[in-house]
Amino acid sequence: MKWAKEIGPVVGAITLALGVGAIVTALTGYSVPQVFKYLALGAFGDWYQVAQTLTQATPILFTSLSFLVAFRAGLFNIGAEGQLYLGAFFAAWAGFSFKLPPVIHPVVCLLFGAAAGAVWGFIPGWLRAKRGANEFVTTMMLSYVAIKLTSWLVSPGGPYHGAHWANQTVRILTSAQFPRFMRGAQLSWGIIVAVLIAGIIWYLLFRTPRGYELRAVGQNPLAAEYGGINVTKNLILALTLAGALAGLGGAAEILGTHRRFIELFSPGYGWDGIAGGLIARAHPLGAILAAVLMGALRAGGQAIDRAGVAPADLAAVIQGLVILFVVAPELIRYFQRVVRRKKLGDIES
Amino acid sequence: MEILSLNLFIAALRLATPIALVALGETYSERAGVINVGVEGMALAGALTTAVVAYFTGSPTLALIAAIGVGAFLGALHAVWSVYLRADHVVSGAAINLLALGFALFLTRVIWGWRGASPSAPTMDAWILVGVGLFLIGISQIYIFRTPWGLRLRVVGEHPRAADTAGINVHRTRLAYTVLNGALCGLAGAFLFNNLGRFTEGMVGGRGFIGIAAMVVGNYRPLPALLAAYLFGFVDALQMRLQDYIPSQFSLMLPYILTVIVLAGFLGRAKVPKALGKPYIKEQG
Amino acid sequence: MSAEAIRMEGIVKRFPGVVANAGIDFSLDWGEVHGLLGENGAGKTVLMCILYGLYQPDAGKIFIRGQETRVRSPHVAIGLGIGMVHQHFMLVPRLTVLENMAVGWEPKVGPLLDRRAMRRRIRALVEDYGLEVDPDARVEELSVGEQQRVEILKALYRGAEVLILDEPTAVLVEQEVEALFSTVRALKEQGKAVVFITHKLHEALEICDRITVLRKGKNVGTLEAKGATETQLAELMVGREVVFTVTPEPLESEGRVLLSVEDLSARDDRGVPAVRGVSLQVHDHEILGIAGVQGNGQKELLEAICGLRRPTKGRVRVGERELTGESPSRLATQGLVHIPEDRHLRGLILTFSVEENAILGQRRQPRFAVGPWAQKKRAIRAYAGELVQRFSVSVPSLTAPVRTLSGGNQQRLILARELSRAPQVIVAVQPTRGLDVGGMEFVWEQFLQARRNGAGILLVSMDLDEAMMLSDRIAVMYQGEIVAVLRRGEATKRELGLLMLRGTGEVG
Repeated sequence: MKWAKEIGPVVGAITLALGVGAIVTALTGYSVPQVFKYLALGAFGDWYQVAQTLTQATPILFTSLSFLVAFRAGLFNIGAEGQLYLGAFFAAWAGFSFKLPPVIHPVVCLLFGAAAGAVWGFIPGWLRAKRGANEFVTTMMLSYVAIKLTSWLVSPGGPYHGAHWANQTVRILTSAQFPRFMRGAQLSWGIIVAVLIAGIIWYLLFRTPRGYELRAVGQNPLAAEYGGINVTKNLILALTLAGALAGLGGAAEILGTHRRFIELFSPGYGWDGIAGGLIARAHPLGAILAAVLMGALRAGGQAIDRAGVAPADLAAVIQGLVILFVVAPELIRYFQRVVRRKKLGDIES
Repeated sequence: MEILSLNLFIAALRLATPIALVALGETYSERAGVINVGVEGMALAGALTTAVVAYFTGSPTLALIAAIGVGAFLGALHAVWSVYLRADHVVSGAAINLLALGFALFLTRVIWGWRGASPSAPTMDAWILVGVGLFLIGISQIYIFRTPWGLRLRVVGEHPRAADTAGINVHRTRLAYTVLNGALCGLAGAFLFNNLGRFTEGMVGGRGFIGIAAMVVGNYRPLPALLAAYLFGFVDALQMRLQDYIPSQFSLMLPYILTVIVLAGFLGRAKVPKALGKPYIKEQG
Repeated sequence: MSAEAIRMEGIVKRFPGVVANAGIDFSLDWGEVHGLLGENGAGKTVLMCILYGLYQPDAGKIFIRGQETRVRSPHVAIGLGIGMVHQHFMLVPRLTVLENMAVGWEPKVGPLLDRRAMRRRIRALVEDYGLEVDPDARVEELSVGEQQRVEILKALYRGAEVLILDEPTAVLVEQEVEALFSTVRALKEQGKAVVFITHKLHEALEICDRITVLRKGKNVGTLEAKGATETQLAELMVGREVVFTVTPEPLESEGRVLLSVEDLSARDDRGVPAVRGVSLQVHDHEILGIAGVQGNGQKELLEAICGLRRPTKGRVRVGERELTGESPSRLATQGLVHIPEDRHLRGLILTFSVEENAILGQRRQPRFAVGPWAQKKRAIRAYAGELVQRFSVSVPSLTAPVRTLSGGNQQRLILARELSRAPQVIVAVQPTRGLDVGGMEFVWEQFLQARRNGAGILLVSMDLDEAMMLSDRIAVMYQGEIVAVLRRGEATKRELGLLMLRGTGEVG
C-alpha cells in the first residue's frame, strides 16, 4: 500500500525517538515508566485531556499546513511563529473593534488574521523570487520583527495596551468568539476550522491546477517553466499562502483559546509547525495526525509536570528527537533492513 | 550626537564576535558543500554547555572546551544526517535547532529548576574570546586561500567529482568542516554566555541566522564576512543606545530588518559553491 | 617502438538493461596514438572509464606495463600514470589554472601552497608540449579549447604517461583541432601513449597510428591507420546492415510558412551574446535541420524560440501570429510544441505520476480543468491512458511516478504528450539522445508522420547523420549565426563539417 510505505518510516522514527527519549529520561534520573504513563494519561487519559491535546493541536495544525505548503513549492517557511503573532493580533483587533453579528464576526476576524499573515509571507516570497534572498533566513528575521511589533502594540507605550497588569489587548466581543465544546476546557470550534482548512489544502494541492503548478515548481522548476508555469509567481504565492495559514492559526488561537491578544502567548507553535509538516511528510491530511501528536506531547508534557514526575519540557526533547529521526528516512530504512535481516536469520537458524 | 562615541565602536566589535564566528564556521561548511542552518541551535547548545560546566566546575576554561566539544558533536550529527544519510540540509539543520531548544528548556529545568534560564556562573573575560575569534578569522583567510588544504576544501564544494579523482575523500572532508562549523558555533555560544554571565533560552536570538547572512555578504570569505558581522554588531550596539529615544521593541528590530535588506541586496551577487546542498554519489560501478 | 603500455582482455561491463562492453580486447603501445572509433553507445567511453578506474569491470583483465592490475579508482589510475580528459571537463571554473592543476598534488612551502614552484612546473610543461596557457587566469575566462589544454596539462603534471582523450574535438573549432593534433603529435614524440576516442572517421585516419572500431560493445577490428579508408571504417562501424531504417518520402510543400524567425538575438546564461541575428523559416511538410558544433548558440536559439529565453532582438512568428517571448503554454495553444533536449531537466517531473506528466502543458485546458480551482481527474486519467496506448508507452500504472519508466518510455511519453496536440510546428532538440535503435526509429517515424500530416519541424541534432537523413533542408549554425542553408542532396558530409567548424565551405 502507498499509505503504509509513507507511514512506516514515520512510525519507525517515532518509536526510535521514544526509545532515545526513554534513555534521556533515565539518564537525567527520572522514572521512565512514570513519565510514559503520565505522558499518555495527559494526552488521552480522559475527555478533558483529549480536549487539551486537541486545543494544542489546533494552532499546530495551521502552522504545519503553513510549513508544508511552502515546502511543496520547494521553500522553507521557518517564520510561521511571527506570521502567527501578526495574524493573532489583527484577528483580535477585528474582534474588539468591529460590531458584527455572530458567525460573520469570527469569519471577518479569520480573514484579518489570514491577510496579516499573508503580508508577512509575501515579503520573503517576493524577496526570494525577485531578489534571490534565502527565504529560510528572511522568514526567520521577519518573524522576530513581527513578534517585537506585536509586543509593542500591547505594551504600556503602545496603542492597544488593554490592561494594567499585563501586556495584552482588551477582550474580543462575544460575537467574535468561537464556541467551546465543554465546560472548563478551552477546546473550541477552532479545531473544526483547522481540519476543514487541512482538507481544503489537500484539495488545493492535489485536485486543482493551481496546486499542480505549485508542486511542479517545487519538484522541478525547469520543467515547470517548460510547461508554461510562472515560477516566480508560484514561489510568491506559496509563501503568501503559507503566511496566511500561519496567520489563520494565530487568529483561531485568539478566537477560541485566549479571546484577547496577549504578548508572547505562543509557546512555540510556529516551531511545532516545522515538526508537524516534516512528520506529515508534507501531506495535509497527514498533518492532522502530526498535529495531534505534537498536541499530545504538549498536553502530556504538562501532565508529567503537574504530577511532579518530570519537567514538561521533556516532551520538547522527545519532539526534537522525533523530527531528527523523521528527516533521515535513510536511517530508518537502515534499521528496517537490520531488523529484517535478523528475522531472516531467525528463520534460517 | 552622543550616541556615536568610541564606546559604541568597541561595543560593536564585542557584539560582532558571535556573528563573525558563526559566519566563519558557515564559510567552512558551505565551502565544502554543506548548508548548516543548525548554527542557531549549535550556538545555543554551546552557551548552555558553558553555563552548566562553569556552574559545576567553576572553571570557565573547562566550560569553553566543553562548549566547543558539544558544538562539534552537533556538527557531526548534522554531517552524518546530511552527508551520509542524505537528508535535506535545511531540514536537518532545522531539526537540530528544535532539538537544541528542547534540550535547553529541559536541562535548565532539570539542573536549576528554572525554565530556559540559568543562575549566574563564573565567566572569563569575553575580550579574550573576541581576540580568539579575530585570530581564527585571520588564520582562516590564509588557510582557505593560501594552503593546499584550503584549495582542496574549495574544490570539494565546487566540483566534488574532480576532488574525488584527485584522491580527496569528499564525504570525509565535508564531515570534517561541518564538525569545525559546529565547534565554532559552540565557541560563539560560549562567548554569548561569558558576555552575559548567565544563560537564557533566547540569548542567541537569531544571531546564528544573522551569521549566515554575514557569510553571504562576505561572499564566502572570512575577512569580508568579519566586516559584515561588524556591521551587524554595530547596529546591535547602536540599537541598545537608541532605546532611550524609541520604544525598545523597535530598536530591537533593527538588526533583523538590516539582515533582510542586506540579503535582498547581496545574495544575487554571492558566488555560491556549485555543489552546495547536493549529495555526492560516487559513480556506480 | 612496440612495447605494450596497456592491454585489456575480455572486458565486460553491464548496466541495468544494457551490456556496454561485451568482452572487449584492446591494447596500446608506447609512442602510439590509438583511435577508438564507434557510434554513440558503442562502448568507447565506458571502456576507457574502466581503464581510468571510474567503473569496475564485471569481467576481464587489465595489464599495465605488463602487470595485471586492478584499477580501483581514478586516483589509483593517476598513480599508475594514466590520465583522462573527459568530455565534461573536471575543472572548477572559479579557480585559476594553477589551482586546478595543483589540487591533490600541491607543492608546498611550509604550510602554504608554493605558487612559485607550481608556476615553474607549468612553464616547463608548456614549453615541452607547446600548450600555451596563463597559469593565473581563471578557468571560467578561458575558451573551451584553452580549457581542454588545461586538462591535458593537468594530466601531464600528474605524471600521465598514458593519456585518454574522450571525443576531444567535439567541442573544438577548426583551428583548435589543428592545435590539438600538433599537441597529440608532440606527446607521441615524447614516447607517451594516447587513446583518441572519436566517432569521426577522417580524424581517426589523420591522427592515429592504429584504430580500434567498437560496435555494440564489441571490438570488431583493429587496423593500421596507414592504408585504411573511410569506407572500410564506416562499414566496420555500422556493420553491413542498413543503419538507418527510415527514409523520408519526397513531399511537396505548399509553401506556407509555419514558423518564421526574423533577426533573432539572445544571450547565454552568462550574459554573452550567443545568438546573433538569426533568420529562418520552416514550411509545411518540411523538416529543417540545424547542424553545428555544440555551443554555437543552438540551445539558446531554440530556447528563445520556445519562450524559455528572452530574445534581446528580433521576432518569432507562428503562422500569422507574432509570438515573440510568449510563454511555452501560449505557444503550444498556437500550434508550436517543443521536445526539450534533456528529459530529466525539463521534459518531465520525475516524481509526478504518468497522468500528471501527461498534462504538463495542458493542465488548465477546459477538458482537464474547471478554471484554476478544479481538475477533471477522470478526464485526465482517460487521456493519459489513451496516450500511453497510442504511443505504446510501457508503464507500470498511470499513477506510477515517471521516475520508474525506462529512458525510452520516458521519451515516448514526452512525444505522446506533445505530438498529440496536433502541432503545426515541432521544435525538437536531440530527440534520440540516449535511446536504443528501436527507440530512435520510433522517434523518427513519429516525426515523418507529423511531416506527412503537414507539420513543419525544426530539428537540432548533434548527430550529423541523423540530421542529414531526416532534414529537407539543413541550416548550419556557427558562432551564433546561420552561415548556410543547404537542400537535401546538396550537402555532403564533408562540406557540412567544414561549415560547422569554420563557418565557410571553401577549402583552404
